[in-house]
Amino acid sequence: MKPTLIRNLKRDRTYFLLLAPVLLYYVLFKYVPMFGIIVSFKDYNLFAGVWESDWVGFKYYKMFFQNPDAYDIIKNTFVLGIYKVVFGFPAPIILALLLNELRWKAYKRFVQTVSYLPHFLSAVVASGIIIMLLSPSTGWINHVIQSFGFEPINFLQKASWFRTVYISSEIWQEIGWGSIIYLAALTAIDPQLYEAARIDGANRWKQTLHVTLPGIAPAIVILFILQSGKILEFGFDKVYLLSNAATYETSDIIATYVYRMGIVQGNFSYATAIDLFMGVIGLVFVYSANQVSRRLGETSLW
Amino acid sequence: MKKKTTGRSAAGLLVASALTAAMLAGCSSNNNNAGASGSPAASPSATASASGSASAAPSAGLPEPAKISIFTEYSNAWPPKADWGVWKWVKEETNITVEQKTSTTTLPSEALALAVSSGEMADVMSVFPGDVVKFGSQGAFLDLSKHMDKMPNVKAYLDSHPVIKMRVTQPDGKILNIINDGAGAGNQLVWFYREDIFDKNGLTPPKTWDELYTTAKKLKELYPDSYPLVFRHGLGTLSIFAPSFGVLPEYQKDPATGKMTYGPLNPNYKKMIEYLNKFYKEGLFPPDWLSMDYKAWTQFMATNKSFISVQYIGQIETMNNQLTEGRLKFMPPPLGAGDKAYLPQGGYEDYGFAVASNTKNLDAALRYLDYIYSEKGRDIQSWGKEGETYTIVDGKRKLNDVYKESNDLRRVSGILSAGTYGWFDFEAPLSLIKESEREAYIESPKYQFPVSNTLPILSKEETDSISTQTDAIYKYFSTSISKFIMGETPLAEWDSFLKELDKYGLQKVLQTYQIGLDRQNASK
Repeated sequence: MKPTLIRNLKRDRTYFLLLAPVLLYYVLFKYVPMFGIIVSFKDYNLFAGVWESDWVGFKYYKMFFQNPDAYDIIKNTFVLGIYKVVFGFPAPIILALLLNELRWKAYKRFVQTVSYLPHFLSAVVASGIIIMLLSPSTGWINHVIQSFGFEPINFLQKASWFRTVYISSEIWQEIGWGSIIYLAALTAIDPQLYEAARIDGANRWKQTLHVTLPGIAPAIVILFILQSGKILEFGFDKVYLLSNAATYETSDIIATYVYRMGIVQGNFSYATAIDLFMGVIGLVFVYSANQVSRRLGETSLW
Repeated sequence: MKKKTTGRSAAGLLVASALTAAMLAGCSSNNNNAGASGSPAASPSATASASGSASAAPSAGLPEPAKISIFTEYSNAWPPKADWGVWKWVKEETNITVEQKTSTTTLPSEALALAVSSGEMADVMSVFPGDVVKFGSQGAFLDLSKHMDKMPNVKAYLDSHPVIKMRVTQPDGKILNIINDGAGAGNQLVWFYREDIFDKNGLTPPKTWDELYTTAKKLKELYPDSYPLVFRHGLGTLSIFAPSFGVLPEYQKDPATGKMTYGPLNPNYKKMIEYLNKFYKEGLFPPDWLSMDYKAWTQFMATNKSFISVQYIGQIETMNNQLTEGRLKFMPPPLGAGDKAYLPQGGYEDYGFAVASNTKNLDAALRYLDYIYSEKGRDIQSWGKEGETYTIVDGKRKLNDVYKESNDLRRVSGILSAGTYGWFDFEAPLSLIKESEREAYIESPKYQFPVSNTLPILSKEETDSISTQTDAIYKYFSTSISKFIMGETPLAEWDSFLKELDKYGLQKVLQTYQIGLDRQNASK
C-alpha cells in the first residue's frame, strides 16, 4: 500500500500540472521578492549587493518613528483607506442591485458597459482627465458651478478637497467593474424565493431587503474581508499624480512617502522598512476582519 | 485567495522588484564580462583623433568602431531621432555608434533613479548634481579622476574651468560627473510682457512690485477674463521671484556673513509672499498655478489671457513666433525689496555627464567624453559641419535656412539637446536669433543675482544624516508657502512657520551644509 500523498499526487496529476504555472508565478513574483525585505535591516548599497551591506538592526524603523511627519503620513493612509472602504465598498453593491431591478435588458447592458469602461483607463490618463475637468480657470465642472452663480472651487489645491476628489474618482473608475461579482452572485439566487415572497405580499423593496441581500451576503462578506486587507493598499500612481504642494497635508500617504524616500532619494533600506511595517499592519487587518466574520456568521476565508 | 493577505503598496512592490532586479543584475554581471571582450573595444590611443587637426579623410586614423548607450532627457518639443546630425558627427569623428536612451518620464532625475535602481544603466548618462549626490556615493558612477590620462581634453577643460572643477570634486577627491558649460545662457529665466497691450492702454513696464501690482490690477479691469500674470513652474517659480527681493527660495549662502542660511528666514521673503497672496486673492494669476503645465501656459499666452510672464529666455521668441497678433518683450525684473532687482543667476549649467560604474564599453565611453569636451568636439557639436549645416558668408558662419529659431537646432539635428554636447558654443543658436529678439540676451546679464543657487557638495554620511530632514522640511515649506499664498493660512502666522522649521531639523541641515561650504572654501 502506497502512502496517501504519493497516491493522491498520482491520481490528480493533471490537476497538479494545471496548478503548476500559477504556483510558479507566486513563487517567482510574490515570494522571491520578499527576500528583499532583509535590506530594511541593512544599510543597503545598490552596488555592494544585499549580502555585502552592513546590518543596522532597527535603525530605519526608529528613523521613521522619529520623523515628525510619521504620524500625519500614517493617519492620512488610514483615513484615506477607511474612506475608500466606507464609501467605495457599498457603491458597486448598490449599482448591482439597481441593475438587477432593470427590466429593459438592452439598457442594462449599455449601463454595464459604460460603467466598466473607466476601469481600463490608466491612472495617468484618469488623473489627466480629472485635472482638466476640475481646473478652476478652464475646467468644465467649474464652468457648470459658475453658471449656477457660485464661485469656482479650486478642488485640487485645497487639502480639504483631496480625499473627496480621490474617493469619488476611485468610485467612478471601479464601480462598474466591482459590480460584476455581485451581478454573478445575483443570478445564483433561486427564483422560487422571489415567487414565494411575492405570494406573501412582499413588494420590490421588501424583496430586495429579504431575498436579494441575504442571497448575496456571502459574496459581500468575502469581498469585505479581502478589501480590509487592502485598506492600506492604494493605486499609488493616482494619489501621486493628483497631489501637489498645497494638498500634502492630506495627500501624503505611506506609498508616496516611500516613493520619495526610496526611489527619488535612493534610500532603499528606509523605504523597505516603512513598507514592511505597513505590510504587517495590513495582515493584522485581514486577520481581525476574518476573526470578526467567523464569530458573527459562518462565512470566513479560512 | 491568499495573495491578497499582505497589504503591500504599489510603491513597495516597485522597490522590491527593483531590488530583485538589482540582485539579478549583480549575479549576471560576471558572466557578461566574458562576452564583452568579444565586442570591439577601443584602443587607448583612440583619443588622438580629438587633437583638433582637421584630417582630410574622415575615416583616416579613426579608432576601432564601438557602440555606447547614452541616457538623456526626453522633451516633447524636440523628440529624439536616431538620424540626428549630432549622433552622425560623433560617429564620423570617433567611430562610436550612439544608442540614445531617453527618460521615460518628464522628470529625468526620477527616470534616472529608476534606471539606476534596476541596474539598467546606460554607459554614459546625463546627470544633475543631485543625482550624483544620491547615487554617486553608492558606487553607481565611475570615478573619472582615475581615468584623466585617457581624457586629456576633459582634463584641460576642467583645468580651464575652476568653478566647474570645484563643483564636481567630491569631498574625497573623486570626480563622478563632469558639468557642461556654454549653453547656460539659454537657462536664464527672465520677465517679459505684451508690448502691444501695454502700448494700447498707455501702460509702462512696472519697475517695482508695487507697480507690478497696480499694472496687473489695471489689466484685470480692462480684461476681466484675463489673469495678467502667468507662470507655470508652481512653487519653483519662486526661484525667479526671490532674487527681485534679494533672496533665494531655499538654502543659500548669505552674501553678508558667508554662512549658509535658509531663504524664508530673511524678512524680505515674507514681503514676497505677501505680494503673491495679494495677487492670488485678486485673481491676478490663475488659481490653478500649482498644477499648470507648458501647454496650459502657452494657451494663456496665445489667447490673450495673460500679459506678463516669467519663463526661460528662449520662450520670448518661441511665443512671438506663435502669436498671431501682438509682441512679447523683455522686461527688467521689478524691484521687490533691497537696492537692486535681480534675475536668478544664469549662465551656468547643472546638466553634465557620468559614466556607469558597470559599463562594458569603458574605453568608448571615455573616448566620447574626451571628444565632446575637446575644442573640435565643441565646434562640431554646436555648429555641425561646413556645407552640411552652415556655410561661410563674408567670413562668418551662417546656419542653413532649415534652422529658423534656436529650437530648430534641437528639433532637426539634436544640437543643444542634453547629452549631445559637453562644452557648447552659444554663438551658434545666438546667430539664429533675430535682431529684434537679442535684447533679452544683452540685457539679462546686467541683472545677475550675486549668489549662486548651487549647494556645496556633501559626503555620503552627511547626506544620509539629513535625508529625512530635507524631505520633511521641503514638504513643510512647500505646503506652508502655498497656503500662505492662497490665503488659507493668514500671514500673521509667518513667525510660527519659521519656528516650526526648527522642529523639522532646519538647524541641523544648515550646519551640515556649512561643513560642506567650509570644506569647499578650504580647498580653494
